[in-house]
Amino acid sequence: MYMTKRTKWIGFLFVIPFLLSFLIFWLTPLLYGIWISLHDFRLSVGNNGFIGLKNYVDILTPDTLYNNVFMNSLKNTLMFIVLSVPPLILISLGLALLIDNLPKRLKTFFRTVFFLSYAISVTAVSALYLWLFGANGGFINNLLLNTGMISSPINWTGDQPYAWFVIVIATVWWTIGFNMLLFVNALDEVDPNLYEAADLDGASSWNKFRYITLPDIRNISIFVMITTVIASFNLYGQSLLITRGGPSQSTSSLIMGIHATVFGNNQLGVGSAMALLMGLIMMVITGLQYWMSYRNNKEETESGKSEKKRFTRATNVGPTNVSSRPATTIEKKERKVT
Amino acid sequence: MKKKRMKSVLLVTFTSILAVLFIFPLIWMVFTSFKTLSESLSSAGLFPNEWTLEHYQTIFSASADSNMVQWTINTAVVTLMGTVIVIFVDVLAAYALARLNIPGKKIILAIVIIALTVPGIVTLFPAFYLFKSVNLLDTYYPLILPYSAGTLGVFLIYNFLRSFPQELEEAAYLDGATQWQVLTKVIFPSIKPVVTTLGVVTFLAIYNDFLWPSLVTNSDEMKTLTLGVATLVQGSNFVNPAAMMASTVVATVPALLIFLWANKYFVKGVTNSGIK
Amino acid sequence: MLNRKYAMLMSAGLLTFAMSGCTPNDSGDSGKTEIKFINGFTGGDGDYMTKIVDDFNSSQDTYQVVQSQEKEHYTKFKSGDYDLVVMHETNLDTYQKDQLIQDVGPFMEAAEISESDFNEAGVQSGSVDDKMFGVPLDIHPLTMFYNKDMVKEAPTDYEQLKQLGESLQAEDSNLYAFGLPSTGLTTFYFTVAAAQNGIDLAKEGYLNFTDSTYADALMQYHAMVFEDKTSPEKLGLDGEFQAFMKSAEDSSKQTAVTFTGPWYYQAVKEKYGDALGIGKMPTLFEQEATTGNAHTIAVAAAVDDQETKDGIAEFLKFMYTPENLANWAESGQTPTHVATLELISEDPEKYALANQNQEQLEIYEPAPRVYQFDEQMRYMNEVVFTKLTGEANLTKEDLMAELEKATKAAKQVADTQQ
Repeated sequence: MYMTKRTKWIGFLFVIPFLLSFLIFWLTPLLYGIWISLHDFRLSVGNNGFIGLKNYVDILTPDTLYNNVFMNSLKNTLMFIVLSVPPLILISLGLALLIDNLPKRLKTFFRTVFFLSYAISVTAVSALYLWLFGANGGFINNLLLNTGMISSPINWTGDQPYAWFVIVIATVWWTIGFNMLLFVNALDEVDPNLYEAADLDGASSWNKFRYITLPDIRNISIFVMITTVIASFNLYGQSLLITRGGPSQSTSSLIMGIHATVFGNNQLGVGSAMALLMGLIMMVITGLQYWMSYRNNKEETESGKSEKKRFTRATNVGPTNVSSRPATTIEKKERKVT
Repeated sequence: MKKKRMKSVLLVTFTSILAVLFIFPLIWMVFTSFKTLSESLSSAGLFPNEWTLEHYQTIFSASADSNMVQWTINTAVVTLMGTVIVIFVDVLAAYALARLNIPGKKIILAIVIIALTVPGIVTLFPAFYLFKSVNLLDTYYPLILPYSAGTLGVFLIYNFLRSFPQELEEAAYLDGATQWQVLTKVIFPSIKPVVTTLGVVTFLAIYNDFLWPSLVTNSDEMKTLTLGVATLVQGSNFVNPAAMMASTVVATVPALLIFLWANKYFVKGVTNSGIK
Repeated sequence: MLNRKYAMLMSAGLLTFAMSGCTPNDSGDSGKTEIKFINGFTGGDGDYMTKIVDDFNSSQDTYQVVQSQEKEHYTKFKSGDYDLVVMHETNLDTYQKDQLIQDVGPFMEAAEISESDFNEAGVQSGSVDDKMFGVPLDIHPLTMFYNKDMVKEAPTDYEQLKQLGESLQAEDSNLYAFGLPSTGLTTFYFTVAAAQNGIDLAKEGYLNFTDSTYADALMQYHAMVFEDKTSPEKLGLDGEFQAFMKSAEDSSKQTAVTFTGPWYYQAVKEKYGDALGIGKMPTLFEQEATTGNAHTIAVAAAVDDQETKDGIAEFLKFMYTPENLANWAESGQTPTHVATLELISEDPEKYALANQNQEQLEIYEPAPRVYQFDEQMRYMNEVVFTKLTGEANLTKEDLMAELEKATKAAKQVADTQQ
């Protein structure tokens, strides 16, 4: 390009704001966190000296104070992932399919309606569901009792499995719009000619979905799954405000556990170690998901040449296969121009 | 044809029923906010038997224990500034990485991608402690600045630019334009879709953030709406569901309006940007 | 095209402008010395503390007390930069050992307050190892409110409550004598069960719950819910108070009596008006006793400049004059400052609850003083009480197993002390 040595360094100026902020707000806290986790570090008085891996050992030794906190909240968080991820993906895909089949003008309207709750903050959502599902005289209980669907009130926020049910419902209601929007847009891009051809062949709706729609929204589905799992890992506001981690600490999430360790027990060192462990677990799980979808993709590629392009698109990207689309969009644009 | 029409009517009806169920919690929230204290505590009906505005009056009265107005201002400042900074920082960096042959480019790119895989929880508490150490808790700084360290934006724009044709830029250079001019006059207009998406995603992320602001703010005057509502849930309003709902209505309306306005940009942005 | 560049420049300018507007404010605009004061009074009592602060601020022009009221005020105190903090007596030991607060003796001296200005319970509440680390503010025992429309006279023992429950149940199955919460104020319920059975929970610096007599006492709570039906089951967080505020209809359960914190006084007064009765904590177990907690005012360890120190002394001096502290009594809390107590006894109407609770001080048993009291109680609060009021089949053996777990956790917490 048109670069002299001088302009090369001027170009570097453009990256400096980013590098600075990355250094200050990301790299320093990361390294500092690792350093803190190797010390007996109290929130109140600060550093009490280097203790090596003791914090990690404490967390991983069964039946110690911090092990109980960490394991219990890890178990709860994994439970929440198992309970929340399937509805968050399947319901949002269902909604997207429904909307995709609507007349064009209504499409926009309903898309907005189902996306609406995404604009409400987690705290407002929690307040809302806390009172809707009140045990003693709450709206839902009264409704179910009056219609004869239950005979005695349900302690929604204080009994399992209802407590998980309320948290999952609140989460699904709150965030489903985003996943749906991604699916709607992906469905929009499926080539209508394919459906027409299938119609001529007399294909059933299910077959059309299975052989045309599903392969075409594959990438977006993987993206949705990975991001949804990460989001569910970060459960905090809902369980803090709706159930306060109860009943019997069964909805207390990892972040709540870390928070309690840092602020309740005053142990910034142990808390930082827990946070690093949580980060590691998340990275491993994301990596596994990625590897599995990569492997499946490869099998499919071997079975059909037409899949080849999709394979290359899906694999040359980072943690979230975000880069697969711009290319296609641009291709289209160029085609329009010429 | 008739069959198709039937199917379409059925679909619309079904979707409408779902939509009503979906927004029902919001409707309930609004109606409850107009109930009296004792009715909101006990009554099972949706509509208030006796309408009252007292909870709204309390919220906006001078002696209110909640700083609803201040929280709204804070939220506006924090989300707008945060979003502008993120866009500014990320566009500059992505441009330089994609187009200028700068030193250390490969390393920076590697950093960007590695950082994307590291979950935010890892840096959260140390970052809080760092802000505490330099006495910057309870100011706007920690509420705004740290978001610009995220690498997703750089990554998105970089990818977008990389696959974007360079002819226009080269023509501009031949005409004697500087890098800055090329960036503002040629690049920026063409990456607008991805920037819009980044803007809306960042805006929503900052607006919705609860844990980080709860760590770095201490006084009531510095809270954001999201944080403020949490205080109300845990605090004194806990005894009064009607007042609670009035507060959530007030906290939600501005966001909903912005959201409805930004909705079309967002939908367009997601379609164009490559968050897929 | 040109306006894009300006847009960017403008936003950059906007940034600089806004950032400069948000520098931390160390000293107020008025040139007064600021004293940052944080407390956890987010309930009805908050307004009364605010009144004391406001009155102080308008009374003179050298110092300015800036107050924060926060539900999570201990968290905020640890992370923030505060000079004065309202601290529960059960937390004083912990914060003193963690070096977060300092000796208040010199401040009391400068404010011309002495230990003899407080009653015995007060002095005890503010001291750690015979040294004052908190200026005693109040004692807030578990308090009984009742609905005069349902209960003619204040019940004094469990037998009466049981009879009340039976007659209410006969009338309407949604009516109960009182409510046990699943979680929330349960610390008070645990300590009152110990105190009314003459059990001391503290043992060598940790809380020991593994005690057969104590397990029997707690099983009585279980029986209240599942055998006697004096309390509904599974009332949830703060259920004892919520159920008292409800009206029995549809599925809502209502109670005639509640044992709860005095900070709900404003709310129950608003709801019941003249029908509100206040009484002594009844004897649910073997002997008469009530428990609760106490508020004290502590000074952050970091406070060292003379100006702030003088300001704190000035504020304490103002606060501990009977006319001013009486505001706090009006909120329902019972001051431990003797002169204020004398003042409020003259007006039993206005300070109804404070006066009532003054009588309770004779039977008040302070909570055990151990390191990280709240953390040591955590398992009991979050798990054990929920089981007691929610699991119909819970046996004493099950409970003992839980108590062992709770004790073990408490011991581990105690061991984190440096």
